[in-house]
Amino acid sequence: MAVHDHDNPARNAIAERIESLATELLVRGEEAAAEGWAETLRTIAREAATAGGVAVAAVASELAAAAEDTQGAAVSAGIARLQAALESWDTASRAQSAVAWETDAGGLVADPELLSDFIVEAREHLDSVEARLLEIERDPTDRDAIHSIFRSFHTVKGLAGFLELKGVRDVAHEVETVLDLVRESRLAMTAAVVDVVLASLDYLNTCVRALEASGPAAEFSDPAALLLRVRAAAAVSEPAAEAAPERPETDAEPAASAAVAGGKQAAKNGAARARAVKIDTDKLDYLVDMVGEMVIAQSLIQYDPDLHLERQPRLARNLSQLARITGEVQRTTMAMRMVPIAGVFQKMARLVRDLARKFGRQVEFESFGGDVELDRNIVEELADPLMHMIRNALDHGVEPPEERAAAGKNPSARVRLRAMHQAGQIVIEVSDDGRGLDRQKILAKARSQGLVTGNSELSDSEICNLIFQPGFSTAVQLSDVSGRGVGMDVVRKQITKLRGSIEIHSKPGAGTMFSLKLPLTLAIIDGLVVGVGEHRYVIPIFSVRELLRPSAEAVSTVENRAEMLLIRDRLVPIVRLYQKFAVEARATRPEDAVLVLAEFDGRSFCLMVDTVIGKQEIVIKSLGSMFQKVAGVAGGAILGDGHVALILDPPALFGKGSER
Amino acid sequence: MATTAIAQPEPVGAVSHEARAGKYLSFQLGTEEFAIQVLKVREIMGIQHITAVPHMPSDVRGVINLRGRVVPVIDLRLKFGLEEMEYGQRTCIIVVQLQKDSTVQMGIIVDEVSEVLNLAAADIQNTPDFGSEAAPPYLLGMANVKGKVKILLDIDEILTGSEFGGIRELLHSTPSVN
Repeated sequence: MAVHDHDNPARNAIAERIESLATELLVRGEEAAAEGWAETLRTIAREAATAGGVAVAAVASELAAAAEDTQGAAVSAGIARLQAALESWDTASRAQSAVAWETDAGGLVADPELLSDFIVEAREHLDSVEARLLEIERDPTDRDAIHSIFRSFHTVKGLAGFLELKGVRDVAHEVETVLDLVRESRLAMTAAVVDVVLASLDYLNTCVRALEASGPAAEFSDPAALLLRVRAAAAVSEPAAEAAPERPETDAEPAASAAVAGGKQAAKNGAARARAVKIDTDKLDYLVDMVGEMVIAQSLIQYDPDLHLERQPRLARNLSQLARITGEVQRTTMAMRMVPIAGVFQKMARLVRDLARKFGRQVEFESFGGDVELDRNIVEELADPLMHMIRNALDHGVEPPEERAAAGKNPSARVRLRAMHQAGQIVIEVSDDGRGLDRQKILAKARSQGLVTGNSELSDSEICNLIFQPGFSTAVQLSDVSGRGVGMDVVRKQITKLRGSIEIHSKPGAGTMFSLKLPLTLAIIDGLVVGVGEHRYVIPIFSVRELLRPSAEAVSTVENRAEMLLIRDRLVPIVRLYQKFAVEARATRPEDAVLVLAEFDGRSFCLMVDTVIGKQEIVIKSLGSMFQKVAGVAGGAILGDGHVALILDPPALFGKGSER
Repeated sequence: MATTAIAQPEPVGAVSHEARAGKYLSFQLGTEEFAIQVLKVREIMGIQHITAVPHMPSDVRGVINLRGRVVPVIDLRLKFGLEEMEYGQRTCIIVVQLQKDSTVQMGIIVDEVSEVLNLAAADIQNTPDFGSEAAPPYLLGMANVKGKVKILLDIDEILTGSEFGGIRELLHSTPSVN
């Protein structure tokens, strides 16, 4: 390595140190090497940060922490990274030497590349800290987690120091000091300490967001008050009760799966970074679109009658091979958009913790199935509804500890998030073991709001479903998190928008469970292709319950207008699709037609069509702004023969075309 | 010719003569010849299966599959209030790209596509007077090519605007320009 031909003494000193470490590694072998390196590495980190080698500083500080845990293998592997970082520093410094060395660090913040690197890296660390903190709160003796948090804050501090983000650096530094005490068992990881660390985390997250939004010009609030709080926490030197040498097998514990997934991710950071590629989401969406086209084009060829495949076995074989490959490409492309739901679950874990404090509840939060993957778009849209439900669970569902104890329950309530696959859909359950829905209160409220009129007898599930009505809210007191009357109806709207459904199961005194059913992806649905006259339409299969060929006696007409079908002692309204869309149909009597029983939001109706053509996977296409307001049409799909079929929107068809 | 053009006041919002010059695709609608700027044309195709969309005005015939894109199709005859005509061998769909929103493509159905014209600024004159009113924005002007008058349309305005009352008057008044 020709390292001495630079005229930057600081850099040369660092290069020398790194090289001597590399030599030592060769001579003494991996196990022995790591001993006593922490100090040297930290010096390198410090020097590199002052001299402007942000990548070197980051790697070195990460290694320093690893060396302290005497992870020999990690350290020796890291030396190669350190050398690489040094080399890229050389390249970078050659390109912009004058700027990088001469100007103050304020100029470095202005470098968009450095800044975006900082944002990405800081965010990774801060996310992992949050997951780890929640683990610690469950098990304050988890040394692994404490070390990991310490390392993260240390790295953030280093990076921020380099970019002269003073507020960020100071906060990270103070937290690091507190965590150092915890690491050395001179301070117990009490809830108060966790609070302070979380508060600092929030501050840092705000800073990162501000930097992302407004670049180097971002302004931060003054962290002075926060710094005092952190220092105060550090000053309460109360030694940890026990050192707890053995740590529990967190990996085997399903209860922590969401949090652990986040933690593991952080641990694997180095490796993951090398194996992952960042892609513009627009490009990804375009790829998904084009692959959809490819699949359609492929099926157009495969089913082309002009090919006479029955007479050409070799062509048929090759085409079916092509079909397999395109199918595989499509699956892979779709998988690229899938992200684990763990990220959202982690946010909820934090929310539960904060709200429990606020409402004075004792709550244990559990999450299962954080590794279940969903389309990125769905995951993004899911955070808000989940947040609403968690808020409701803590505000309305979970009782105060005394009340729980009086009812003979564990004073500590259980709030659970669970995700799983079920019949090609994702099911997400939000459950609590609180007091359950108060039917009386709901009914009284609904009456007073005019949602229920007269003395109509409502079934239990109908009463529960009242909470989804717009403007419904039973909170006696308005709090800032729930009871604004925009709770559950917004949740349901959002879930319906994602082509999902929501159900409530609630037992008085035993708790409430919301069960969300969501599609795996928004781009492709299973559709039922039906025919009316010469037109074809697609009905999303998730809203289809059954297909019927009614007898004439089963159909009755109410007031000469509304037609109803009697199925299993239930009267279900019939909607004639050809009338709705003003087209010619072959079958104009229900007994000649096929009735598609569709269900949504707990209501059902029959859609009358001529024939059912088949079931098909459908790539959803937007019809564009021109057709946005067409009631009953959700989009377009290209069928196997290349023609466009309209995708129906059953709720809008039934809702007299006005609800959209 | 040129004197008439100068004598007329410049219509409000009209494109200047220089900007109007260029290549035009001319097509037939009934007895009239129209032309739109070639720059806005994406492709021309024969009539094909159109999927009807319910609850739309009659000129919106529906949507077609344009290599995987769902593109709305408008019958220009009906848009202009002309008599409906059955589609045949010569009927064409001209797919245009709207300039106002570059992502939007639309198909227009015309009786038949004639030719591509190369029009110099001098070939184009302003539209005849609509009494006291200014010429509607969808009219770029008129061109006299080999003794035939072509009406130059701003297709963006046609497809995004809503008022086409003037077009019929124009169709009746065209002979006077000659």
